[in-house]
Amino acid sequence: MSSGSSTVTLDAHAAANLRYIRSSMQAATTVPVPGAAALTMGVIGLTAAAIVATDAMQGSWLPVWLTAAVVAAVAGSLIMARQYALRDLPLLAAPLRKLLLCLLPGFFAGAVLTVADFTYGNLHAIPGSWLLLYGCALIAASAPTAASVGWLGTAFVALGIGALILPDAVQNLLLGTGFGALHVLFGIFIFERRHGRAG
Amino acid sequence: MAVPADARKRAEEPPAARPRRAGVRARQEDARFERLVYERVRLGMMGALAARDELSFSELKELFQVSDGNLSAHARKLEEAGYVSCSKSFADRRPRTAYRLTPTGRSALNRYLDHVEAVIRATRRR
Repeated sequence: MSSGSSTVTLDAHAAANLRYIRSSMQAATTVPVPGAAALTMGVIGLTAAAIVATDAMQGSWLPVWLTAAVVAAVAGSLIMARQYALRDLPLLAAPLRKLLLCLLPGFFAGAVLTVADFTYGNLHAIPGSWLLLYGCALIAASAPTAASVGWLGTAFVALGIGALILPDAVQNLLLGTGFGALHVLFGIFIFERRHGRAG
Repeated sequence: MAVPADARKRAEEPPAARPRRAGVRARQEDARFERLVYERVRLGMMGALAARDELSFSELKELFQVSDGNLSAHARKLEEAGYVSCSKSFADRRPRTAYRLTPTGRSALNRYLDHVEAVIRATRRR
């Protein structure tokens, strides 16, 4: 007659198989990064940088960039949701929840630092902290998406460090390079990879 | 008109024997599936294909970190059993091989999952 230990082994083997199936399913459902979302966000970033570059708007860089951030976030989310609907993937499925968990702490820290820096008049640190924290969020988000997202994040981190060190005169240029040009280039890269050479 | 021998045999057998025979066939099918997925990569492939409509050869290779030859052999076994289907096409003049779970494969995996869950429930109840 089988002993207690053999039933435990059977149970453990079954549980291990279930865990393996679950991990295989999760690995297969990575979050697709739509190139269109990155392109749209990049165009919004370039537009904000162009507006702030005009003499009349130089003093209003903070409201312009905050508006651009909100518009870009909404546009990017809508495009991602549409891509999900087209691919028949459930919204808030495990990989997407993981992506949000990777992104949100960085965004939250960015919002808190913006309020703190604005309150204490430390406006110079705001662009640097945005770029740096967004970069860190992207590096974390590369786990449930793609390694290329991590490289994009690294470029943002480098720009963020630059923005913290360099004078105010180049801050708008660095913000435009990051949130504008880098997003556009990444969007083109994703589009090329998906349509240029299918796996 | 001549009636085939097995059809005649089926007509003669008592109605209660029919579900019994279907049960035996299902058990044989389950045993065949379990033998196939005893190899972990094949079990993982079934799981991954259940989560996605279609996975390409290169995606599967990246997921399970196996060689081309190994993956081909595993995929062929699942294909021969009728659990996955394979389609070959060209994308940008490069050959592309994609795999999908067949309805037979999906129901075999579902039955396997039910069985595994039942084993866990039964052993934890003790």
